[in-house]
Amino acid sequence: MNAGATGFGVGAALRRKEDARFLIGKGRYVGDITRPGMLEVAFLRSPVAHARLKRLTKPAGHEQQVFTIDDLPEIKTIRANSALPGFRVSEQPVLARGKIRHVGEAIAACIAGSRAEAEDLAGACELDYEMLPAVSDMTRAHLPGTPLLHEDWSMNAFLETHRNDDVSGLDAIAAAKVTRTLRTSRQCMAPLEGRGVLAEWDPRLEQIIVTTSTQMPHVTKSGLADCLGLDEGQVRIISPDVGGGFGYKGILLPEELVLAQLAIRLGRPVRWLEDRFEQLTAGANCREHHYVITAWADEAGRLLGVECDAIVDAGAYSSYPFGACLEAAQVGSILPGPYALPLLRCHTMSACTNKPPILPYRGVARTGVCYAMETTLDALARQLGISAEAIRLANLVRPEAMPYRNLVGKVFDSGDYPEALRRAVAAIDVPSIRARQAKGEAVGFGLATFCEQGAHGTSVYHAWGIPFVPGFEQAFVRLSPDGILEVRVGVHSHGQGMETSLAQVAHTILGVHPDKVRIVLGDTALTPYSTGTWGSRAAVMAGGAVAEACRQLGDRIASIGAGLLQVTRPDVVVADGFVRRIEGEGSVSIADVARTWYRAPQNLPKGVDKGGLEVTAGYRPDPDTGTHSYAAHAVVARVDLETGAVVLEDFVVVEDGGKLINPMIVDGQVLGGLAQGIGTALYEEMPYDGAGQPLAATLADYLLPGSADVPDVRLEHMETPSPWTTFGQKGIGESGAIGPPAAIVNAINDALASIGAEVTDLPATPERVLAAIAAARAGKA
Amino acid sequence: MSRIDITLTVNGEPRELKVEPRDQLADVLRGPLMLTGTHVGCEHGVCGACTIEIDGAPARSCIAHAGSCDGATIRTIEGFGDDEIMRALREAFTREHALQCGYCTPGMLVVGRDVVRRLPDADEARVREEMSGNLCRCTGYRGIVRAIVSVIVARRHARREGACR
Ligand code: FES
Ligand code: FES
Repeated sequence: MNAGATGFGVGAALRRKEDARFLIGKGRYVGDITRPGMLEVAFLRSPVAHARLKRLTKPAGHEQQVFTIDDLPEIKTIRANSALPGFRVSEQPVLARGKIRHVGEAIAACIAGSRAEAEDLAGACELDYEMLPAVSDMTRAHLPGTPLLHEDWSMNAFLETHRNDDVSGLDAIAAAKVTRTLRTSRQCMAPLEGRGVLAEWDPRLEQIIVTTSTQMPHVTKSGLADCLGLDEGQVRIISPDVGGGFGYKGILLPEELVLAQLAIRLGRPVRWLEDRFEQLTAGANCREHHYVITAWADEAGRLLGVECDAIVDAGAYSSYPFGACLEAAQVGSILPGPYALPLLRCHTMSACTNKPPILPYRGVARTGVCYAMETTLDALARQLGISAEAIRLANLVRPEAMPYRNLVGKVFDSGDYPEALRRAVAAIDVPSIRARQAKGEAVGFGLATFCEQGAHGTSVYHAWGIPFVPGFEQAFVRLSPDGILEVRVGVHSHGQGMETSLAQVAHTILGVHPDKVRIVLGDTALTPYSTGTWGSRAAVMAGGAVAEACRQLGDRIASIGAGLLQVTRPDVVVADGFVRRIEGEGSVSIADVARTWYRAPQNLPKGVDKGGLEVTAGYRPDPDTGTHSYAAHAVVARVDLETGAVVLEDFVVVEDGGKLINPMIVDGQVLGGLAQGIGTALYEEMPYDGAGQPLAATLADYLLPGSADVPDVRLEHMETPSPWTTFGQKGIGESGAIGPPAAIVNAINDALASIGAEVTDLPATPERVLAAIAAARAGKA
Repeated sequence: MSRIDITLTVNGEPRELKVEPRDQLADVLRGPLMLTGTHVGCEHGVCGACTIEIDGAPARSCIAHAGSCDGATIRTIEGFGDDEIMRALREAFTREHALQCGYCTPGMLVVGRDVVRRLPDADEARVREEMSGNLCRCTGYRGIVRAIVSVIVARRHARREGACR
């Protein structure tokens, strides 16, 4: 394999092909697409969190433009089941039926010639409902006597899980024991482009064509066909340019179903574009965790065991396809992190509350779990009087132990976790921080280490029993008559740069210049089935599939080329866009091979593969338990003791994503994730009041990190190949978003250590920092 | 609702339009004028995705009533084809990987160009401050800041060389 040999292949920091259109404003997002005769949809959404819906009065004279669930009886409820024992499945009507379960739940679709007119209609509807007490506190949702969201359930919880290692003897033998109660806030993923759906009925094909801002067009297609009672051939999903996903667009939307049915009913194209108010009030749907965690260690800092009670606020419904418990049910398996942990006792609950249904946000449960584990480790280190680095080095899985199976059965593929930590620490002048602290400055040094399972497949997901299980990933490749290589994949690219990185993969195998490789994605009619882009899987899965398809195509090209050179297949190789004789002179270009197949078939050698120059090939790593990228984050933070403000003075990331297909793109993924992690750590929070009302309705209230809030991060790579993937690449798309809350709060707590204050809840806003300082001072007084 | 007649010069072309009193400039540009390079991210003036030039200065088209813009000269991301700074910025944006999904990019470029023109001596910290009204959810800003700084530095060098000659 000539990886990177020509500067265009795997390993090259190639500039992105897709940039050209974005830089001149020619990206094409759902909101940029219109159709003749198109109508716009605005949703009437619930102003309250929990209520019995009694009546909706449509505006007089406009009854035909307002649709409730009674007007759309063809649409089945969304049911995202799970095979996990004890799971309670919710029935999610696409428009509220009988009951309202969260603020922002769609109640009616209003249609007009313009969005503004459609909103006028929504505003003119009269709603009659009977308020019910809202369940907004996840820690109390399950208690007896709490009003039930789903009345046939026995309690407001989708699922509880248990792992019951015996930790009762640890008190007697441990040198240190700490217990912490920690909390993370509900967030909104807030891609800059909201969701958007344009649905149109094609009477010729008898097909509903839904152009939608989604990360998983094929899964959406299956779900949509299911809920509308269509066969899958009657559904085509197009996902054009998508303005950021992060998990927010990894869902079958109620709105997609409503729009599709309306287009079928009306015979006219209809479009809905989510606005930011809708997104913030109806779409704050991730990251709200509560932990009570205890850890025991010996005097060297070696962990003896961890006990954890975790609750995740899963909101009102189980979303399709990932379901309501992907976060909580993973807490137990993620808690050991990159450490060799001997005992774990863990109880988790996916609480059902009057909030928007949970979706897995970049990092999924890991951001919260890493926060819980890493802040607890630092508390242990403080109690033992050892450094944050020492306690981690005492517990990190060692490189010689790879591949390593941990106590919950996760298998780490490769890497040197302690080395990443050592490098991160070495990049920071820790003695100077200690000197500043000695002078009384509130500055601190914080660490976090973690690993990220990515691209895990069938063997992991079949146990979840959610509506899909990822299997073999497929790619289709075609060499066209002019020598252009067309590559079709079912994953989607919404910022990840796959139009470039997958072209690099193809180049590595076939030598075709990336400019001559066209990546086609985002259309179920054009691409092979795929579960889509999520779980840091595209580089491994689509990368592997494209490589495999190119390899098979390369073999066919070589056979034809050998015939044209009047030698046999073993006498030639495919390299740099040519079929070349291994010994002696003679070559024929891939483009000439293509011309021969399509335009001069009379010259084809005998016995040529009749499949021609088109190949669909599948790929799945073996084993498919997932790659594990890992990282160490090191932060220097300064705390203003008067105002509680936190300034990030320095941020170092040492990251190992295995072989990097395009290092520039990987850096971009890590840095982008990091900014989101900084948001989780310091700024982003969707507070809900006791009535279940979201309190941050604009981007002036819900604070996203801006350019002045993110430091100039220093990023270092290690490149330990995964032994299980095509090029040794690992999934790394989420990693940046996992570590920052842990590392930043550890730095804050280090800065406050002399006062004895500790921040426990995210985000670490000035109010929370001041409260922690005040609590510590009050405790001492 | 009564419509308002306005005349705009958009990317060098005179355009006569009838707009609703509640139409924002972004609606008019993206709708009847089909200039969809101007993106809307929040429609309440915070994210900066909709930034265009009105009479030579950056402005948020999502909170500029179209009806009050009669006579204005508008430039959108589609209207910088011949602009030397914009060409340098585009080159720098792709080199520094300053964009991922591309949704914030038009607004970033319009504001970035204004920063380059207005602040020939700006350093990284100043650029970070100046760009803080434009949100990007994908990149973490490092590429954006580096790209803009690189154009400022290159122009500074060019100026010095010009002065020496
Ligand atoms: S869309 Fe105008 S500032 Fe956000
Ligand atoms: S590139 Fe996606 S928002 Fe900036």
